[in-house]
Amino acid sequence: MIPLYLFTGFLDSGKTSFIQETLADPRFSSGEKTLLLLCEEGEAEYAPDKFAGGNVTIETISSPEEMTAEYLRNLTAKHHSDRVLLEYNGMWPMSVLVTHMPKNWQLYQHIMLADAATFEMYNANMRSLVVERLSSAEMVLFNRCGADTDKMALHRIVRGSNRRSEIAYEYENGSVDYDEIEDPLPFDLDADPVEVKDDDFGLWYMDITDDPQKYAGKRVRFLAQVAQSPRVPKGAFAPGRFVMTCCVEDITFVGLVCKYEKAASLKNRDWVTVTARVKIEYAAIYGGKGPVLVAETVEPAAKPEQEVVYFS
Amino acid sequence: MTKIDIFSGFLGAGKTTLIKKLIKEAFSGEKLVLIENEFGEIGIDGGFLKEAGIQITEMNSGCICCSLVGDFGKALEKVLEQYAPDRILIEPSGVGKLSDVIRAVQRVGEHADILLNSFTTVADASKCRVYMKNFGEFYDDQISHANTIILSRTQKLDETKLEAAAALLKEKNGTATIITTPWDELDGGQILAAMERRSTLEEELKLLVAEAEHEHGECDDPACSCHDHDHDHEHEHGHHHHDGERDDPACSCHDHDHDHEHEHAHHHDGECDDPACSCHDHDHEHGHEHGHHHHHADEVFTSWGTETPRKYTDAEVQFALDALSDAVSYGVVLRAKGILPAADGGWIHFDYVPGESSVRRGGADVTGRLCVIGSKLDEENLAELFRLA
Repeated sequence: MIPLYLFTGFLDSGKTSFIQETLADPRFSSGEKTLLLLCEEGEAEYAPDKFAGGNVTIETISSPEEMTAEYLRNLTAKHHSDRVLLEYNGMWPMSVLVTHMPKNWQLYQHIMLADAATFEMYNANMRSLVVERLSSAEMVLFNRCGADTDKMALHRIVRGSNRRSEIAYEYENGSVDYDEIEDPLPFDLDADPVEVKDDDFGLWYMDITDDPQKYAGKRVRFLAQVAQSPRVPKGAFAPGRFVMTCCVEDITFVGLVCKYEKAASLKNRDWVTVTARVKIEYAAIYGGKGPVLVAETVEPAAKPEQEVVYFS
Repeated sequence: MTKIDIFSGFLGAGKTTLIKKLIKEAFSGEKLVLIENEFGEIGIDGGFLKEAGIQITEMNSGCICCSLVGDFGKALEKVLEQYAPDRILIEPSGVGKLSDVIRAVQRVGEHADILLNSFTTVADASKCRVYMKNFGEFYDDQISHANTIILSRTQKLDETKLEAAAALLKEKNGTATIITTPWDELDGGQILAAMERRSTLEEELKLLVAEAEHEHGECDDPACSCHDHDHDHEHEHGHHHHDGERDDPACSCHDHDHDHEHEHAHHHDGECDDPACSCHDHDHEHGHEHGHHHHHADEVFTSWGTETPRKYTDAEVQFALDALSDAVSYGVVLRAKGILPAADGGWIHFDYVPGESSVRRGGADVTGRLCVIGSKLDEENLAELFRLA
């Protein structure tokens, strides 16, 4: 397996400078055969003579169409690469990489860079691109921070898509602050049952799918819409909600598998209050183990004012 | 008739700043509506708009994943119906295509009394190169479909980089005026004149050719039949446009109707020959137009002109003008005129007729512009003379 170090972020977010520093660091580079793959040509340019250990080959991909699995595989084969560092184009959907990543590559680390000054505006206008990067990044580094940087606002945007990534803020003078802002969940995990308020569904859904063990054996109660799906086993349904990431174009339904003996009698899209115990079990729809609910009661409920919920 | 002005450009390019400047300096007294399809650049503050009596309509589907066009037509129709404004300013999403917005406006124009007045792209001068390289389709679309490209923050660039940026944009869009002068040096009215194509290189050249022909006693008889069929064709175009049908952004015939205005003004009123002047009345010019003074430049005189952000010294300009009498190198130059940014700040205005030249200081223009009229002009040598080769 060839490890892939992925660097994402918009144009001018500091990707090149970050990669340059990384490759110049002898702790990271001691002569490994490295393929540095560039999908963007920004302001900053690489100084290969400063790379520690040498052995770095630079290749460029100038359009998403060029990014095919075969092409990528051939590149690493040609250069006998031990590892790949990829500077990904800020405007290309992540799906281009995800669908064309060669089978012998393995995503090892994903670092997202962002310019603190423009990030909020870019997020507001290119939300779909931001969300798909944030949700898979292990670390988000905001650079060019200044006295007026609203860390809380940036923090919230990240946490809206990813509750686990590290967040760091780099200031103009080079100092780095690590984000230690805690995000207490708005529901009490020790309560029985754990009551999820209507507004908190998105957050709860993200939390339980991120870290199901935390909920194992607990009882939960939440408002949901009924979904009957052939992908859910017999004697079960999928209570869930329509969530919106960015705009009406991307509204999708998210739900969990919920065993309920009278599941077949429920009407699709009806509103219900579900009280259920959480078990960690295999479910085909999860493609592995995940939180499977076992319903105690499923009661008819009134439609809430806001039918669509947000992930944040 | 409601005028529609579209301000496209990537996030952070300065669209909002430009709109604010125009509201203050160019649209006074007009009933305006601003349609915003972008989520807060600097955010036009409500207070300022209220004071100026401007209605603001926000569309909430400005993100890159949306198809904005359907909603967009609806928003426009609603605004027309509700406010019947003199002018609607549209600030589309910075990540959208300008051509989509133009088409959406055109569709509304099929059944509403609107005029697609201008479609401008604001571009950060220091970012053009990298944006072009990395953004692909939507950015190219914004650049290539604009009728005016307004560069922002040009004061932060050195001359060479600014020239390179302008050259790069010209490759993608050879017909748009590219405003390279820092906005602080310009009045909103000058910017609007460029946006509305009242002040273009083409106009200036035509005007000068007409003047030269007039002076040189070429045919200016209204009954003269020396005009060929092509001209009639042009007239047709002009009329259609004034009927509100000027809706093809790719159409290069915008010039014609303006042409008429200037011709008219020049030859009939004899008062106003300022290409930036808006004193010409659209309604009555055509009647006078037919058959007048459409001397073809190409028949007798040729013209050469260019636009450039290059800075000049007075001495450079004077040297070039002194050299123009060399007919062997440059052709027979009858007239030269221009406004160029000066190396030490300010602007150089110059005029040349054989035996007489003047180089003086004057007000700023949207970009440096120089025009030469004569016969058998050697364009290459002229470009070299003005250090543009």
